[in-house]
Amino acid sequence: MAELEIKSVSKSFGSVEVLRDINLKIASGEFVVFVGPSGCGKSTLLRTITGLEIETSGDISIDGKRVNDVDPARRGTAMVFQSYALYPHMTVAENMGFGLKMAGEPKAIIREKVSQAAAILRLEKLLDRRPAQLSGGQKQRVAIGRAIVRNPKVFLFDEPLSNLDAELRVNMRAELIDLHRRLGATMIYVTHDQVEAMTLADRIVVLNGGIVQQFGRPLDLYDDPDNRFVAGFIGSPKMNFLDAVVLETGPGHVTLGKLGGSDRSLRLAFDGFDPSIKEVVVGIRPEHARLGESGPDTVPVSVGFAEELGDVTYLHGKTPGRSPMIIRSDKGRFSGQIDCNVAFDPAGVRLFDADGRRLRADGN
Amino acid sequence: MSAANRAIVAELYTWRFLKWVVAICVAIVAVFPIWWMVNVVFADPGVPVSINPRLYPTSLGSGLSKIQTILTETAYLRAYFVTIAYALLTILGMLLIGSMAAFEFALFDFPGKRILFGLVMLSLMVPTVVTIIPTYLLVADLGWLNTMQGLVVPGLASAFGLFLLVQFMRTLPREMIEAARLDGASHFKIYWYIALPLSRNAMVTLAILTFMKTWGNFAWPLIVAPKPEIYTVGQVVGLFNAPFSHQTVDVVMTANLLAVLPPLLFFLIFQRKIVEGIAMSGSKG
Ligand SMILES: Nc1ncnc2c1ncn2[C@@H]1O[C@H](COP(=O)(O)OP(=O)(O)OP(=O)(O)O)[C@@H](O)[C@H]1O
Ligand SMILES: [Mg+2]
Repeated sequence: MAELEIKSVSKSFGSVEVLRDINLKIASGEFVVFVGPSGCGKSTLLRTITGLEIETSGDISIDGKRVNDVDPARRGTAMVFQSYALYPHMTVAENMGFGLKMAGEPKAIIREKVSQAAAILRLEKLLDRRPAQLSGGQKQRVAIGRAIVRNPKVFLFDEPLSNLDAELRVNMRAELIDLHRRLGATMIYVTHDQVEAMTLADRIVVLNGGIVQQFGRPLDLYDDPDNRFVAGFIGSPKMNFLDAVVLETGPGHVTLGKLGGSDRSLRLAFDGFDPSIKEVVVGIRPEHARLGESGPDTVPVSVGFAEELGDVTYLHGKTPGRSPMIIRSDKGRFSGQIDCNVAFDPAGVRLFDADGRRLRADGN
Repeated sequence: MSAANRAIVAELYTWRFLKWVVAICVAIVAVFPIWWMVNVVFADPGVPVSINPRLYPTSLGSGLSKIQTILTETAYLRAYFVTIAYALLTILGMLLIGSMAAFEFALFDFPGKRILFGLVMLSLMVPTVVTIIPTYLLVADLGWLNTMQGLVVPGLASAFGLFLLVQFMRTLPREMIEAARLDGASHFKIYWYIALPLSRNAMVTLAILTFMKTWGNFAWPLIVAPKPEIYTVGQVVGLFNAPFSHQTVDVVMTANLLAVLPPLLFFLIFQRKIVEGIAMSGSKG
């Protein structure tokens, strides 16, 4: 158990800056998920924490101790790779005990620790097998076992489940949550699957372009995103974004016009709207958009197709300005192309400026 | 079965038959000299095969006694040991040096790596005849003429071996090497516990190819070890074969037979590995 602090860490490969000024403070025993699109630097950040990559600048501390110059094997971190990275010529037991063997532990102790870890992961019957004789899920458990045996302060997982099929992935997620509860260890988990991030995480770090976009609890990111990237990345289906112009502002409210290219306007309660802003982006999640009667504060949408999933139905359409728009409408049955009007739940509206920054009302 | 099908089947059989015929012909051509050698060695004494040609051996005893004579009354046995030592030491040394160098070249970056590797590969294009004299002079300068190290050491740094092992080690996943590093394995231990055992196939291939090559190497031992005490099998057989040797043809054949026996056995044992190895290296060593 240990807390991990990352202070203004940057990392460049040659002239390419992959991580920019990363600052994170991860509490002891926390399960933190790094999520972001492919190539955003998640793996690089993880590898920097464990010491496989050397940061260009900044500090990394574990339990208050700066570990920049500590050998990767002695940082108290253990990493589980996406490819499992098991040693194919060793048995499961040898794979799991290799770290202890390198540390010069006596054989009896290695055997004991390996069998303890094997019991946690239900690998007892497989200890004499070689990796080639294991299924994907079993391999992944061995890889996790190899990490457990080393009793690290911080576990690092780099997309450990992405080679597994969907069902096994769901099972392994549950096992990981269980494992985290039992070990109580600090865990950092990388994925580009935001659903996986939402299920596993105590807190989520959203990365994009090597920059931390937001760090917070899953529902905070969902309800209160700091910027348009986070708003669009978290949640499935995605949040809708409609361009709008500011018609007028007054104390306690703002009125937006040309919503999604239509002639409709929307009046929102909003304290202290910056009057110099003329254009905004309105973000609205599908569940906050309702089919309604035509009126001045609704937006006309022509629906192209309906996604009827059973428990929920999503209507995929376009506004007059050709912005895509997804509306949640349960129980209704649809067929063919329809034109409808969509009303916005004011509490669900999030505003962003033209650069994607979130606009927050005063006192929020 | 339709007529068309029948025609296709007939054609297939014809093809197969022809292939077999060709393969058997090639096999006969390849095996015949060896068989002839056996034939001559195990022939009744005083009835030379050349005068009285036949295709089967007639006397096991006379062959064995010739073998015994050669092993006991000439320096053949010593040459055997010398050659085995020469081959084994070369194999061990080459595997050790080659695998260590390949480990660095294949899995790590260091300044000048590409140029160094390019230079080594360039040396593959230089024929042995060109380097044999400078190498000889160097060995002579070191005072290693007529010594085992003189025989072995120049053959250790094998560009071909390095190439083979580098190609193989490049296929080891980077993440596995990193996992070992995180497991606390030092540079050497990663080599010893991970890279080396996983390169076993490539090393066996290289060992086999090297054995065949050193066993049959004639020119290098001839010039670097001209003293009879350190003659290799190749040289001894060369003496038997020499135009002014006083031996009769059956004794010469016995010497030759003894010389091909180890590689032949070796080949029979490792046949599959050798074929694999040649396919893998795209070369015949
Ligand atoms: N050794 C390297 N040399 C040069 N560039 C690198 C190196 N490693 C990573 N990069 C670059 O750094 C960026 C981030 O890579 P990284 O592997 O961290 O992405 P990621 O977020 O893990 O993506 P993914 O989800 O696809 O795994 C990429 O643009 C990648 O090309
Ligand atoms: Mg990655």
